[in-house]
Amino acid sequence: MTHESVPQANSPQELLASVRDLTRQVRVAQRGTWFPLLVLATVTLLAIPVYRYAPYWDVFDACQTGPEYRVCPAPNPAELAYWTVALTIAYAVIAGFYVRQSRRRGLGTPIRPYITVGVALAVLMTAVSSWLTFHPLIPVPADPSSPADIEVGPAAWVVNGLASPVAVIGLALLVLAWVERHWALLAYSVVLLAIVAIMGAQVIQSSSRWFFLPHLLVPAVVLLLGSAVFALFRRASEVEA
Amino acid sequence: MTTAHPANGLDDVVHQRVRLGIMAITHQARQVEFGFLRETLQLTAGNLGQHLTVLEKAELIRIEKGYEGKRPRTWVTLTATGEAALRTEIAHLKQLIHQVEQADTVPADR
Repeated sequence: MTHESVPQANSPQELLASVRDLTRQVRVAQRGTWFPLLVLATVTLLAIPVYRYAPYWDVFDACQTGPEYRVCPAPNPAELAYWTVALTIAYAVIAGFYVRQSRRRGLGTPIRPYITVGVALAVLMTAVSSWLTFHPLIPVPADPSSPADIEVGPAAWVVNGLASPVAVIGLALLVLAWVERHWALLAYSVVLLAIVAIMGAQVIQSSSRWFFLPHLLVPAVVLLLGSAVFALFRRASEVEA
Repeated sequence: MTTAHPANGLDDVVHQRVRLGIMAITHQARQVEFGFLRETLQLTAGNLGQHLTVLEKAELIRIEKGYEGKRPRTWVTLTATGEAALRTEIAHLKQLIHQVEQADTVPADR
């Protein structure tokens, strides 16, 4: 039986519309947006115990000790080591997911630029963070017990942003939005980056050992919500197809 | 001086709607499996196979057969010639649409 139910498309308009529709179907089938967001949310949540309980590794010999205090101007290098390793593993897991999905669906995957940029940004984050340890752009007050107002220029915030793990996650998501031609993901990534920028602009003056919590919990919840919404959206579009 | 009508530039091998569909899917997917093409284009295996043979003979696609576990798989990839042919076809289609639209705006002689 010869069964051809592709719409009869013979005029140039119909042929072009058919090409556009097939391209859109392939793009939708190639997407797996929910999974990277879930993995990155998990990595962000797992950072919480590292930030709270990992002892400070003064590997750069950067801490200054006074009569009654000890000031360590840079974040704990254990946190940096965690993010570098965790992000690299996360991108490897994401790549594996897309390759498996590609084989199951019988389609190639355009994921390579996302994985490459993601890993490159993780390495850049490590390099920038290490550099900032010795060249801090946000001055550390001489006496931490009497914090003064700190004025920081936009360039310093950009460089500090590249040292922020959640910011590099958001920047890499922009690449995923491009490779998946996914406007909703693009808007979502911009919102995530805006949240990171707003939170990064807040100077926290707290003696609590949990002071970092909002900086990890808020992006993790945003990533989890994003993953759930994109998973539901995907299921709905599959049912529709 | 007359300019060539864009319809003259259409390649019959590529212009056929199913084959154009195969090339559009393969272009976006980079590599596509026979089963995905059959389901998406809603063709029988025999019919799809005939179209693939035409495209392969014209060196517009490359067909690779292999196994994944015990399942036989046929993967289709667009060649560089195929990429260029698809771009040319789409450009000609757009030109044709443009010409038709322009002709529609010119008032007819009464």
